Amino acid sequence: MSMFMYSKTYFFKPKIVNFIPLRSIKAKVPNTFVNEVDKDGFRILELFPTKIKKTVKYQKSIPIFTGREQKMPVDQDWPTVWPSQKTFQPHSVPLPVRQGYPKPGEGPFSKIANTELMKIPNFLHLTPPAIKRHCEALKQFCTEWPKELDSDAKCTEHFPLEVLYSDYCYSGPSIRDPLSRIITFKVKLSSLKLDYHAKDKILRLAGNRYDYTSDIITIITDRCPMRKQNYDYATYLLIALYHESWRKEDWENEKALADMEYYDWEKNQSKKNLVTIYAWPEIPQDFNYAHIPHAEEYKVAVSELINNGEDEHSINKYKQVVKKLMFFKPEKNHSTESE
Amino acid sequence: MNLFNRFILRIKKSTNLRNTSSFAETMELSDEILPSIYTRETDPVYHNESHLNKLYNIPSKDCATILSHGLMNQYKIQLKIFNEMSILIRKPSIELLSYLSKSDYAKPVNKYVIYGECGSGKSTLLYHLLHYGYNTNKIIVYVNHAQYWFTKPKEIKYSEIERNIIDLPIDTRIWLDKFKLLNNHILCQANIKLSKSYKWGTGANFPKDSSLIDLINFGIDQTRYASEIVAALVNELKQASRIGLCNVLVLIDNYNIFFSHYTQIKNSLKKFALTSEFSLTQNFLEITKSDWCNGQIIVTVDTAVNKDRQESHLPRYLLTKEGFEHLDPFLPINVENYSEDEFYTMIDYYKHKKLIRSLTSNGEKELKLLSGYNPYKLMDLCKHL
Repeated sequence: MSMFMYSKTYFFKPKIVNFIPLRSIKAKVPNTFVNEVDKDGFRILELFPTKIKKTVKYQKSIPIFTGREQKMPVDQDWPTVWPSQKTFQPHSVPLPVRQGYPKPGEGPFSKIANTELMKIPNFLHLTPPAIKRHCEALKQFCTEWPKELDSDAKCTEHFPLEVLYSDYCYSGPSIRDPLSRIITFKVKLSSLKLDYHAKDKILRLAGNRYDYTSDIITIITDRCPMRKQNYDYATYLLIALYHESWRKEDWENEKALADMEYYDWEKNQSKKNLVTIYAWPEIPQDFNYAHIPHAEEYKVAVSELINNGEDEHSINKYKQVVKKLMFFKPEKNHSTESE
Repeated sequence: MNLFNRFILRIKKSTNLRNTSSFAETMELSDEILPSIYTRETDPVYHNESHLNKLYNIPSKDCATILSHGLMNQYKIQLKIFNEMSILIRKPSIELLSYLSKSDYAKPVNKYVIYGECGSGKSTLLYHLLHYGYNTNKIIVYVNHAQYWFTKPKEIKYSEIERNIIDLPIDTRIWLDKFKLLNNHILCQANIKLSKSYKWGTGANFPKDSSLIDLINFGIDQTRYASEIVAALVNELKQASRIGLCNVLVLIDNYNIFFSHYTQIKNSLKKFALTSEFSLTQNFLEITKSDWCNGQIIVTVDTAVNKDRQESHLPRYLLTKEGFEHLDPFLPINVENYSEDEFYTMIDYYKHKKLIRSLTSNGEKELKLLSGYNPYKLMDLCKHL
């Protein structure tokens, strides 16, 4: 089919000869257009003319502006260059600082026109010599540290109350920092004079404001607009907390088993269980355990198991006591363990 | 009609004991090929310290009865491969057996709580005790797989007597069936009569002094009364042992599931039910009270069944406050991982059974490190591929 179509459309049948490419060979022509002549006045024939070298004109390079930081002397007075806190300026800082998330295969961005460096706060105004100068200037306003308070322990002993507040200024319409009104009182529980009931009550009243690991009660007040008001309020709270914990109300006598802060074996089911088992098959009228041998040991073991937390040691102790309470046949040699 | 037939078939399938206890006919070991890892003493009554770290075989004729409550899947496969049910005699089991032999059966029941890490062999210890109870002609109330009642029950029914109590009729019936199979010979011997009359509905009427076996058979036949009959059975067993007709050994695996708050079943208020809302829970809590005598209660606690409490394997934590108050005073017994001797006994056993071959000393060391002397992990590492 294809052959038929082919023969019909093309009259010219391609032959192999027709496809042979014609190679044109360019012969090098001697350069006859030469102006130079030799001493006899003949023109010089140059069979292989020398190439004329192109003279490239280089433009005179313009010196790149190397910032101010390049010209800074090494021993300059830095606190005068950077006296206070300000945004990062690349040409004022003679340091090769880099910041930013690098692209793959590249390093972090250099300091020039680097927004990341401008965003973060810097401490270039807080160099050691600058701080030293500040301290020197402030020294005239300070009084001497009392010699008696030579250790931290003595400080906490004589000044148990720690008051924390912040004194930052705010860059806004008003320089008053909104956080500066917040007052934090920290006081060690052991520095307060409390009996057993008062200590239990103060812990219940303080709730999560008390930290068991450090034994510190923390009171934070921020509801009043001024610092002094908050300070007064925190003082009031601490005084109220202390005096309220010493007071015993009538309803406190109605303390149920679920309200107990420790496990009291006498009030719990464990005692009833023990007495009921020993009174079986009669039902006991009063839960008196004085007649039961090893009941005191059992009481101590159960209380320790639940109050001190369960571990292999307390479980083993409990096991040894229960073994004495169990109903085993009296052995032949009448040992003391027989029940 | 088709649906109804299917339902019947399902019940028949579920009650087929082959599903729960499928094992091959076991082979007795002849004397001459008995290696040193075995002991010839196959009666747990006579096991003592001299048999420590040795294996004993449950006799093949008792195997079907003793293991009627079913085995762990891994065990089932091992039983098929080894063609014998071997149990390692360990320190806690010897300790427990000595307590059981010397306990005073005229006084209220003693309670034992077996605790230990996951896979340390608590359930296997119960099989040892189960064999002891079987050999000493005790009525055995044995519960394993209690966790499946609260996660994948076969059927749920709200009790007719109390609406907020959930019955599991088919599961209860299956348990009753296994109970009867395990204790049939003793129940026939003891011939326990009912202490009071029972009546549920019109058909179920049991006057006083009728046989306990009839009651159990009725529960197996009439699935809908199974839950009430288990309650009656517990009551009657306690009553009979008080009189001295029988001696009851209560073995409950994963007992702390009864104090867990995690179930997958919704109650009549369409909220997830607590385990205390099930009639089965109430029955088995009833039998673990210490207001009866002539019996012993042994339970295990495990972290694997309680999703709420996973931090520790110690009994007070796993039993929770209610469970501790319910059981207290109990004797805690710790089942630890293998000791060095027990580990080598088990390695020798696996070698003897040709489960592991050509084990070098380096290989033993690797097994030690990988398993951490944990029995279950060791079994898992040495198992068939």
